[in-house]
Amino acid sequence: MNLLDHPDLADRLAAAYALGTLRGGARRRFEAQARHSPALRAAALAWQERFAAMTELQQAQAPSANVWKRIENLIAAEQDSPVPPVAVVNGGWWRALNVWRTAALAGGLATIAAVGAGFYLSDALTVRQTQLAQLDRARAGLAQENARLVSRLQATPEIRYVAVLSGEGSAASMLVTFDPKHNTLTLKRIGAFQEGPDKSLQLWALPASGAPRSLGVLGTEAVVKLPAAENQIGAAPALAVSLEPKGGVPSERGPTGPVLFKGPVLPTT
Amino acid sequence: MDPTSQEQRLIALLDRIAARAGQAGRHADSEIALRELYDLTSSRLYGVALRVVVNREWAEDVLQEAYLNIWRIAGNYRAALSPPLAWMGVIVRSRALDFLRRRASERADAGVDLDGALAETVAGDSPDPLDASQASEQAWALHECLRQLEARQRELVSLAYLRDLSHGELAERLRLPLGTVKTWIRRGLEQLRGCMSQYA
Repeated sequence: MNLLDHPDLADRLAAAYALGTLRGGARRRFEAQARHSPALRAAALAWQERFAAMTELQQAQAPSANVWKRIENLIAAEQDSPVPPVAVVNGGWWRALNVWRTAALAGGLATIAAVGAGFYLSDALTVRQTQLAQLDRARAGLAQENARLVSRLQATPEIRYVAVLSGEGSAASMLVTFDPKHNTLTLKRIGAFQEGPDKSLQLWALPASGAPRSLGVLGTEAVVKLPAAENQIGAAPALAVSLEPKGGVPSERGPTGPVLFKGPVLPTT
Repeated sequence: MDPTSQEQRLIALLDRIAARAGQAGRHADSEIALRELYDLTSSRLYGVALRVVVNREWAEDVLQEAYLNIWRIAGNYRAALSPPLAWMGVIVRSRALDFLRRRASERADAGVDLDGALAETVAGDSPDPLDASQASEQAWALHECLRQLEARQRELVSLAYLRDLSHGELAERLRLPLGTVKTWIRRGLEQLRGCMSQYA
């Protein structure tokens, strides 16, 4: 049956479709016809819009103040995190937090069960159980707060050293930051410099005395992360980037190619 | 404040939240805008979350997820052609339904604690209050038309939509005969169609 020949039925089905009560085969048949009929699609969309207004009709109630705090913290963590927002949307640490939370709750329930059994013989049973439940709720609340703080701290890199490396007479070309919490150096290419396909850029720590030591060879991406220990960075007054054969050179040999960018290491505190 | 200027205000805030993309300097302003948006809408949206998941703590989790969602996709609002509050309300409803599905998959008995609360909702039905200064025109129309339904029909239609429940699920949760649920919903929808057709 072509629904377009029965406009009243078509509208009725569109309304039930949008409400969600049109199910199973009837829903699939409606969808199949709507795919070929702009008018039917329009009717379904109109009803979806009408029902969407249902969300405006619910009784307003103020949420507790800590909801905004949580939102604010999560946004701050997202902003500080080097992970692009897309990864966060896909679950990331929010999901990890939920797992943690569920585990904490399960632990709490187990405690209640065990302690509850002990009190079962006492006539103070009800009172004690209520107290326990209250304590457990408070504890679970604290645990949640804790988990939030921990994950936020973990997501937030600490930046202890920063260096701006530049070439002679050129604009800044590389921004280096060191995060001691994750023992990570992050290098951001700022200028347009791109090494040739047979070359690699290599990062060196330039100690106050002694030979330069290699901190690693850079990939070609715009942001490079290299593992590094704090004493490698803190002890070096300056960092430099040299142009080397593809794959870099062994640290003991020191830079063999020209030094392209160089700059002092500055502690942030 | 009249509804149109309220809507303009919400739209402007969504624009400011979206403006941070690609402009590092705009981040602080986006956060301020989100805070304002939260102040203007969180009570109403919390009401939606609470209506769907029933439990206050869960509703707060849902609200938190929904605002993070809004923060991330505010740039999509312009393409939606919906009133801003309804657009956000639909986000809250989806997050709330996701929440219930997640819970149901974690705990087989998830439906149990909802039943009592649901039955209570239907019994203690009161006409939905509407703050005319905030509601869009379409919300006003729906409000007027729902008001003309019998209380139980209005509740069934609202629950079917907000909690995405089938006839069978409604009958089971509300402990009503399936035939009754089907009849009430059918009549409710018929009346709603007649009424809504007066509003373009």
